Amino acid sequence: MLKMKKGLIVAVVAALFMALAACGKSTETSSPSGAEKEGKQKITVGTDAAFAPFEYMQKGKIVGFDADLLDAVMKEAGLDYELKNIGWDPLFASLQSKEIDMGISGITITDERKQSYDFSAPYFEATQVILVKQGSPVKNALDLKGKTIGVQNATTGQEAAEKLFGKGPHIKKFETTVVAIMELLNGGVDAVITDNAVANEYVKNNPNKKLQVIEDPKNFASEYYGMIFPKNSELKAKVDEALKNVINSGKYTEIYKKWFGKEPKLDRLKQQ
Amino acid sequence: MDFRFDIIVEYAPYFWQGLLVTIGVSLAGIVFGLILGLFIGLGKMSSNPIIRLPFSWYINFFRGTPLVVQILLVHFGAMPLFFAQPNAVASLAVSLSLNSAAYVAEIFRAGIQSIDKGQMEAARSLGMTHAQAMRYIILPQALKRMIPPFANEFIVLIKDSSLGMVIAAPEIMYWGKAAAGEYYRVWEPYLTVAFIYLLLTLSLSKLSHYLERKYSTQ
Repeated sequence: MLKMKKGLIVAVVAALFMALAACGKSTETSSPSGAEKEGKQKITVGTDAAFAPFEYMQKGKIVGFDADLLDAVMKEAGLDYELKNIGWDPLFASLQSKEIDMGISGITITDERKQSYDFSAPYFEATQVILVKQGSPVKNALDLKGKTIGVQNATTGQEAAEKLFGKGPHIKKFETTVVAIMELLNGGVDAVITDNAVANEYVKNNPNKKLQVIEDPKNFASEYYGMIFPKNSELKAKVDEALKNVINSGKYTEIYKKWFGKEPKLDRLKQQ
Repeated sequence: MDFRFDIIVEYAPYFWQGLLVTIGVSLAGIVFGLILGLFIGLGKMSSNPIIRLPFSWYINFFRGTPLVVQILLVHFGAMPLFFAQPNAVASLAVSLSLNSAAYVAEIFRAGIQSIDKGQMEAARSLGMTHAQAMRYIILPQALKRMIPPFANEFIVLIKDSSLGMVIAAPEIMYWGKAAAGEYYRVWEPYLTVAFIYLLLTLSLSKLSHYLERKYSTQ
């Protein structure tokens, strides 16, 4: 018995050491040192991979429109990168602490966010839409007055809802859009406000859930997604240049068609 | 360091509402956990292995799976079977009760079995029935020993109620996340949240110390 216990202790200690060693390694790679080796340095890109079709996990890998676009842009810029799934709230905190060098996660460019972060040129045009059960009396955004609305916490969906109906308990904030939609099916909220691409993707993939998408361009203005950087990042200029080339070369259109099945409105992106 | 107290002030009424929800679900978890846990603990002590089986597996399941998973299963899986529109706060209270019952059952069992066998034999030889011996001899001694592990379990339960945020149950942590999400700031909301939880758990551990002293035989 005593021998067995000793063996166990040795195993536990060894496991602890290995865990510690792994910690040491990961801090080494993520420290933003070595500006002299610029270009060869691996760029860490953060995302919240629960936002299909922009980024989501498929068989353990992050895939989606953003992932493909990022790959094209980084190749164009000749930069080595690693895309990490770190979650929505940690994404912003990690940018501030410079733990990650940039983020791509269907992030809408807003004036508020611009105060704390830098954005690339816009790469996607989006609008907010309302997701309700089929047969719901809701026809436009104003019909949602007095109803409970589900949103993903700290997204522009929440902003749009609060702009129309004010802050308060009638707006329920969920960790991810998927959980908000599950709550809609559960009956806990009457509607979900989210980005059009996500809502359409959900309805397309779950026809038996009997949900419908309501567009309301009168009450929801267009928004643009951008890649996000810490303030005064040197990376921004390079990425902007590469993004422009990817859009002009037709690569962007190719990726767009692959994920959304239609032509992008390139002129509106370029106007921005 | 700039510390924006205005965020805390703005969210104070929400933190207050969140505090009430947290206290409510925690109390529900403690009360129903105790009742259900006593029942399960007694079941697990049965001398018949067939009766024992479901109770052991209840404990295996609720102690062996993460609480977040249980909360999601209860809210999106189990509750819709019984209610047309399950309420997130109710789902959270149910999950916490079911989860703490598993731990409470083991605390009951450990407490009762820790009393020397001679106590039961002595009581029986004085002419007491099994139930009387339990009621007047075993349980009074056992309950005293259960106070520290119960305090432990219920402190964990209060902290674990913060997982209710995954189903948007508006408890303290939910509002902390909402504030952090609105201002993209970490210190102000989460320090406030930590402070409120600390107040709750400290009160509970003070209460446990008081009970321990009150029932001390020394």
